[in-house]
Amino acid sequence: MMKEVVLKKEDIEPGKMKSASLGKIPIVVCRTKDGEFYAYANRCLHQGAPLSEGALVGDTKRTDVHGNYEYIKEGEILRCPWHGLEYDIKNDGCMLAEPDKKLRSFKVTIEDDYVVVHK
Amino acid sequence: MSQKSAGKKQKQRRIIDTDVHERATYADLVPYLDHPWKRYITDNHWMQEKHMPYTQPTVAGVDRADAVTPDGGAAGTDLSFMQQQLLDAEGHEYGILTGALDPSPSSMHGWYEMATALASAYNDWQIENWLEKDDRLYGSVHIAAQDPQQAVREIERVGSHPKMVQILLPIDKTPWGDPFYHPIYEAAERYHLSIGMHHNEPPTHFGEWPRYFIEWHTMLPTAHMIEVSNMVFNGVFDKFPGLHLIMIEGGFTHAPHLMKKMDQQYKELRHEIPWVKRMPSDIMREHVRFTTQPVEEMNQKEFMQYIDQMGSEDMVCFATDYPHWDYDSPLEALPKLDEALAEKVYSENARASYPKLPQKQGSVT
Repeated sequence: MMKEVVLKKEDIEPGKMKSASLGKIPIVVCRTKDGEFYAYANRCLHQGAPLSEGALVGDTKRTDVHGNYEYIKEGEILRCPWHGLEYDIKNDGCMLAEPDKKLRSFKVTIEDDYVVVHK
Repeated sequence: MSQKSAGKKQKQRRIIDTDVHERATYADLVPYLDHPWKRYITDNHWMQEKHMPYTQPTVAGVDRADAVTPDGGAAGTDLSFMQQQLLDAEGHEYGILTGALDPSPSSMHGWYEMATALASAYNDWQIENWLEKDDRLYGSVHIAAQDPQQAVREIERVGSHPKMVQILLPIDKTPWGDPFYHPIYEAAERYHLSIGMHHNEPPTHFGEWPRYFIEWHTMLPTAHMIEVSNMVFNGVFDKFPGLHLIMIEGGFTHAPHLMKKMDQQYKELRHEIPWVKRMPSDIMREHVRFTTQPVEEMNQKEFMQYIDQMGSEDMVCFATDYPHWDYDSPLEALPKLDEALAEKVYSENARASYPKLPQKQGSVT
């Protein structure tokens, strides 16, 4: 197990994300609106786009009622900058359309106001 | 993080990208317009007509979110950034510019004089700011096809430019195979230009808009199919045997079905179109090409099944659609292919479809 300081905590506002490196691995560090940090490989599973160039958005809740839009999980869905594939960052990086596919995830701890990512 | 460092499925190779979107702002075009056309933009705020009830529901609209230019400009407006992000990064041999469909003179439902002026301005802007500034970029002649005589004049004006390789026709509601438009194809042949068709805003659902964007975007290939069948059954390729048609951004997986269906119909109904003298699939194999993007995810076996059903390795040309949101990466989008086929798909099929592109030289290092 290795760990590395990748950012200062204050470098990322809640609801924002940043690219960083864990050794030679490009990662994206996301901070949800509740202040929690998450780290994933910065590469879309589809065609390799850099996810940190995308957006942290929400989702529309699945429903049985046609025409019903309920916006949920705002700031918890990482959306690819190219084709728009979506990953749930609070649910282990699962792809929304195909939940059996997930981003490579890394454990994050906060130590003395630094974001530490573990591999 | 660059895409090169992100990991590769394909090796770096010779690429002729058949769909690269440069974009003009209206302010860019104003210096290339005379009065009164200039005034209709500066004083009267002319804008391209739009019809879709939805936005493109992606991170950054029609564009890749990471293709915004360094100074915050719209994607596709900055040559140096395009060079950095696409042409240099992916090692393009050539890219074929296809505009941004805004303005799209041939899409206008009226005021063809304004459309003609916009087409000329666009061509002059494209030549001066793109084609003459990067050896790798080749261009499309924009025309106002609603007025074929004026369109031919524009082709005669700029069609002999050494870097103009095709005439661009948008796919909206006009079936371009009608004999009314044949003077355009006669001029295309005369100037060794191919015809590139790229969808703009075709109302795919019985002439109307479906309720959701996902429905429209899914069914776009049907608009491409309509144009191909219309061109073939109206005898365009029998009449202009040197003409090449490139169907841009419709993908290619619909082509096997279309070829099979048209052949069957030809066997049964050919007497209605006696000017078509060969099986449609034979005509298509000789004259029609399909660009890959937006390609569905598939493995090599699936890819080869489509190729086998088309009966030709010569019909599919690679395209990225840079800088749009459904961009296809040259390294990631297609499955690994046998080398000979890969060379055809990534470059040689396009080279054979654009008579004015330089011949193959040397090897990729």
